[in-house]
Amino acid sequence: MITVTTRVLIIGAGVTGAGLLRDLALRGVQALLIEQRDVNSGASGGNHGLLHSGARYVASDREAAVECREEGAILRRIAPQCIDDTGGLFVAVRGDDERYVADFPSLCAASGIPCRGLDPGTARLVEPALSENLIAAFAVQDGAVDPFMLSLDNISQGLGLGCSMRRNLAAISMDVSGGRITRVRCRDITTGEEVFIEAEIVINASGAWAGMIAALAGRHIDILYSMGSLIVTQDRITTQVINRLRPPADADILVPGGTVSILGTTSIRVSSPDGCRPSVAETNSIIDDARLMLPILERTRYIRAYAGVRPLVSLGPAGDDRAVSRGFSLIDHAAEGVENFLTITGGKLTTYRLMAEKAADMACAKLGVSAPCRTSTEILPSSTLGKWTEPGRGPRSWVESRTEDDIVLCECEMVSRGVIDSIIDEAGAMRGRSMLKAVGMRSRVGKGPCQGGFCGPRITGHLYDRGTATSTQGLAELKTFTERRWRGFSPILWGVPLMQAELQEALYCGAMDLEFGPPPSTLDEESEKCLAAKEQP
Amino acid sequence: MDFFSIGLTLACVSAAGGALWRVRTWFLRGKAFAKGGNTGPGVFRRFVGGLADVILLRRTLRDGPARWTGHMLLVLGFLPLIFLHAMDDVVTRPIFSAYEPTLDPWQFLRNLFGLISLTGLAILAMHRITRLKHESIAQDWALLAVIGGVLVSGFFLESFKIMSPGDFTRMTDDYFPEAESEELLALKTYWARENGVRFTIFLPTAPEITELGAQLHEDRCAGCHAPTATAFVSRSMTALVPSSMNIADQGRTVLWYAHVALAFIALGLLPWGKFFHPVATAANLLVRGGSRTSSAGNSSFSSGLALDACTRCGQCSLHCSVAPIHKVLGNRDILPMDKLLDLRQHLDGSLSPTGTAALVEGSHICTECLRCTQVCSAGIDLQDLWATSKKVLTEAGRAGVDGEIRKSTAAEWARDFSSRNLGRIGSTGAGLADRAESFWGCVQCTTCTGVCPVVAVSEDPSRDLDLAPQQIMNLLRMGLKAQTLGARMVWSCTTCYKCQEHCPQGVPVADILYELRQLGADNLRKKEGRA
Amino acid sequence: MKTYDVMVIGSGFAGMAAALFAANRGLSVVQTGATGGIDFSTGFIDLLAVHPIAEQKVWEDPFAALAALRRDLPAHPYCRVSDDEISLALQEFTNFLGQHGLCYRGRDKKNTLALTSAGTLKPTYLLPCTLWNGVEAREKKANTLIVDFHGLKGLSARQIAEVRKDWPNLKTARINFPGMGGELYPEHMAWSLADPARRAELAEMVAPLAVEAQYVGFPAILGMTDTSIVLRHMEELLGRPVFEIPTLPPSIAGPRLRAAFDRGLPGLGVRTCTQKLVTRAESSEAGFHFTAGSGSTSVDISARSAILASGRFFGKGLKADRHHIHEAIFDLPVTQPENRGRWHRPAFFDPQGHEINQAGLETDAGLRPLGADGKPFHPRLHAAGAILAHQDWMRMKCGAGLAIATAYKAVASL
Repeated sequence: MITVTTRVLIIGAGVTGAGLLRDLALRGVQALLIEQRDVNSGASGGNHGLLHSGARYVASDREAAVECREEGAILRRIAPQCIDDTGGLFVAVRGDDERYVADFPSLCAASGIPCRGLDPGTARLVEPALSENLIAAFAVQDGAVDPFMLSLDNISQGLGLGCSMRRNLAAISMDVSGGRITRVRCRDITTGEEVFIEAEIVINASGAWAGMIAALAGRHIDILYSMGSLIVTQDRITTQVINRLRPPADADILVPGGTVSILGTTSIRVSSPDGCRPSVAETNSIIDDARLMLPILERTRYIRAYAGVRPLVSLGPAGDDRAVSRGFSLIDHAAEGVENFLTITGGKLTTYRLMAEKAADMACAKLGVSAPCRTSTEILPSSTLGKWTEPGRGPRSWVESRTEDDIVLCECEMVSRGVIDSIIDEAGAMRGRSMLKAVGMRSRVGKGPCQGGFCGPRITGHLYDRGTATSTQGLAELKTFTERRWRGFSPILWGVPLMQAELQEALYCGAMDLEFGPPPSTLDEESEKCLAAKEQP
Repeated sequence: MDFFSIGLTLACVSAAGGALWRVRTWFLRGKAFAKGGNTGPGVFRRFVGGLADVILLRRTLRDGPARWTGHMLLVLGFLPLIFLHAMDDVVTRPIFSAYEPTLDPWQFLRNLFGLISLTGLAILAMHRITRLKHESIAQDWALLAVIGGVLVSGFFLESFKIMSPGDFTRMTDDYFPEAESEELLALKTYWARENGVRFTIFLPTAPEITELGAQLHEDRCAGCHAPTATAFVSRSMTALVPSSMNIADQGRTVLWYAHVALAFIALGLLPWGKFFHPVATAANLLVRGGSRTSSAGNSSFSSGLALDACTRCGQCSLHCSVAPIHKVLGNRDILPMDKLLDLRQHLDGSLSPTGTAALVEGSHICTECLRCTQVCSAGIDLQDLWATSKKVLTEAGRAGVDGEIRKSTAAEWARDFSSRNLGRIGSTGAGLADRAESFWGCVQCTTCTGVCPVVAVSEDPSRDLDLAPQQIMNLLRMGLKAQTLGARMVWSCTTCYKCQEHCPQGVPVADILYELRQLGADNLRKKEGRA
Repeated sequence: MKTYDVMVIGSGFAGMAAALFAANRGLSVVQTGATGGIDFSTGFIDLLAVHPIAEQKVWEDPFAALAALRRDLPAHPYCRVSDDEISLALQEFTNFLGQHGLCYRGRDKKNTLALTSAGTLKPTYLLPCTLWNGVEAREKKANTLIVDFHGLKGLSARQIAEVRKDWPNLKTARINFPGMGGELYPEHMAWSLADPARRAELAEMVAPLAVEAQYVGFPAILGMTDTSIVLRHMEELLGRPVFEIPTLPPSIAGPRLRAAFDRGLPGLGVRTCTQKLVTRAESSEAGFHFTAGSGSTSVDISARSAILASGRFFGKGLKADRHHIHEAIFDLPVTQPENRGRWHRPAFFDPQGHEINQAGLETDAGLRPLGADGKPFHPRLHAAGAILAHQDWMRMKCGAGLAIATAYKAVASL
């Protein structure tokens, strides 16, 4: 049993937790960030990667719109490496609410959001994939942001300034006495080892899990779980972000991300943040709707789907989840009798820095630290931790700087053996249960069209060659990895992806009989609770 | 010295001097190629084969009857005209003592040969107009015009001579000075009626006068004059001149100058450009000895001769297997016929830098498929010329796009190309490599690379070829075109199409590789400032 | 235009077998399909090893398994063929391959466990002879060396040794392939071993590592068209039995089969239109008119009867849009789950297998696919192989066997 002490304990390594680590580190406050799985495992990883101009919220939530505008400008300045400043279009097609279209420019103006009207012909010249039925288009300052790189760069700077972090460490209980959390009991989910953490302040930044973490301290937060599914296309369909110009609804945003585009999202109320996965019904409804705006979405090839659970802090009687504020909630549990406990949840990727700033301000006030927040002015240094998640980096480095005798193990994304070795060497200390999964998380491996079908067995072979895998454990890892990819792959199986999946099953089951033998590891498989809540018709 | 002597002298000097100069280039240009000795079948067989090619124009027959017929008629008609008519004082008269140009069979034959020649020429002109209009340059048309001019002016000259009363008077003054005026009138009446001379005076029709005229003709003229009707072309052509016009005498003079001048021009131009082809091509055919394939061991002389033997018939360009690239790039030096022209200039050191760049590109686009050699009616071993010229150019540091590409690594090219606007393939809109749909089907099976013979023969594909075919497809799918253009795989592809045939998903791998090559070449041209 | 007796649509196992059987019966045959139709084959001829799949019950005797399957699954295509027909079909098929340089081996009425590239054991009925020594070596747990190569991605000897802890005398070695570097591709390696000098070089590198080994195993790269010669030569050079282990598909097994058919079928008078998928099909009382390929290279074909062996999705016999599965050529009705939500199960490795894999064509007893009215679509249209409904060849381990047997039956019913 180990006891660790820290000034601030941050629970949850999503983008908010990562931002908090950096924020506190820059103020000279020593903090420890713990995460039950891996960086961005929740909504921070399961979103569009959209840097909102704010225009989406001009009608429903002006405060959120203004926050987005301001934070977008800050991020463009401090973290350009994480941002693809594509610009965005809001477009309406025949049949859309024309009153909303008419009000849009003035609503944008009221929130100070730059918005320029384009005639539909010009818009289609800029983005040829847009429908012929376009009736209106406005250009705004949307962009794309790589949430993994953003989190990893934040964490990296925090670590460099003396803070620390542990993955695979789940908070399982809290000792509360005298109106304070005295210690947090954690368990390493890979080793089962227990760790006690004593902190002056505990910040709950666990996103959709915030209610569960608060419950460990006996506090109650009303959180709605809104699951959103997204689909990734094989190609970059548009150069800019495309938004449907209508009150926020399903399937109305297409965000370019490197070489692909991401389409979504849905909003389905689920009962738990764990184990959510996109479904066939959702991908169908997303495409049925979005193809009106971009007809090519009916024909194009998709790579996979994924889902994230948005934490929406309930402010009143629940109606449509989108009516609940996308603005964030910062809760000081002192009012409920726990002095050193804060919860920061809700919000958006675009406003993560502001959320971290507000939470850190409150924590510092409690700690008596007077150092001001510097995250909006200090440049976020680019780190090497996230570099292999960047689309196109693998192939570029293969062409430009491969070493002799290196070979490509992942064909789709051209990730070489050398790159995988470097990731394994770096991740070694992180003690992931499945090295294959860890490699997948830190690179583009398994993210291309084959969804791991070919690279999975090849990298498994390499893990055996290195001695990283032994006995049948490598096969079990491969199966775990495959099941993990399958969650996103199975909802998009028609046309070519169906052929791809059939080929994969022919290889795995037809040729290698992998359905026998060691079962996939279930240790870090989430419960399938929420599945029941959204079973397809 | 009169016009004729001066003209003849100048024409002969030009012809002789020029011919010597041409023959000199056969040695000089050949030397630039620095080749070994001659090999091939036995001397006798070669001689017979070559002779057969020259006499029967066997090679010309290969691309259809029109050109062969045209050439055959022209040769069969024009050679007798040169020897029997143009050179009658030195050839015909010494052989045939009774020769008079106005007597049959000579008068008839002249018309016949003239008509044959003109028919042949007309066929060739039509052939060029219908099939080779775009491949033709000024000298092609000039040759047709000069020879046609000589023939047509000849016919008109004779025609006007027939009609000319002045000529009649000159003859009677010379050969019938004692004629009474009544006799002269009778003779004129006869000649006007029977031989088409056009007098402006009134001519009686009384039978006794015509009879007298006939008799006088028989006594005085018939010894030297066959009836002009046997000059069947020229005599018929008199109908073209309205009888009301009284221009026969002046026309005759003008046409004499025209005909003689054109003939001198033709003779004088003989060694210049295409006018020399009857000599150079025939010589080349003899030297080639009937061979239709390529032999690497040609002597420098025969290479030099071959360079000069082109008749600009255009067959090579019509059959060129990379002609479609010419359509895309517009570089005329991709086509053999024009490439040969520039190659000659290059060897003479008179080709402009842009011309040289075009020649280098043309040379390296050539796949040495042998087709041009096979169809060349001049029997030129083009295959050998291309191979050698490519070598000569490469040794001079002009290795073409392919060579330029190989001077830098794929990574260096990636950096270079990343910084430019690459444009579309061949500037003709979105190509296969730019279309996302091209790669939708790919399932990452690597079959394209597995069956690739270029990868198979390389000792270390990633070292020797930079990228394997499936890696190129993946880079393109990810939009990283600049990273592919410098890859030696692209430039080593033999377009054997195995990859494309074996792709289970119908990805047009070979077509895409070929497109990339075009795009790379396009961009290198832009870099050299030749947009 | 010539009217053929039979048009075979497809160039996988079923298509190749149908073309072979029809030609052997003196019929004039024309065959279309992708050139690489058989390239993904593992080379194993599975008959039947698992039933019921949900219980993952593995059978040693495939004929006993067949009896159980016919009892439990009356709609399974194996119910259309008898054991005798299956045996005759396999015999005729492997005889042909044997004549063209691809020898097959198995045990009478017994499945054999074959080593896969993953190190797992796969029950199969007939396997290429080049693999056989490996079966014996493993069964005897003999001292064995498995060699693999730097740069060859499809096989890790060390993985096999790790997974096969039950075979302690298994040693591994990784060497450079003579004359090649960087990434290696099986087909190129196999062609290069046609040169005896290259084989000698390889043997020279392996010999010092194999001193204690009774057997030596290689990734399947030992020759392309002359495998038995290459294998025998390697055994001579190394002085011990040698065997191959299949690599991850696309491996050399597919191209070897393709090469054998390319050599053998034209001699039987089969006309093959390679790399041409049927783009248009018309049927009438008299027979069929097809257009294969598109554009300037398309071919028109007339045939009195047709065998549909066009495979499943990867083979392009079936195609799926977002909602339904269609048969690609005649738009025959396809038995399928009611919506896409039911095509696949939440877990990839679910022992029950995915429902979509049971989708396919219904047929009558003569393997004639049924039309929308439940009657045979055409009196002389037959179907064979993976396109048939109510079978999951990947989970039941019956791919090639089912393809060959149903092709046999389809030809017999012509």
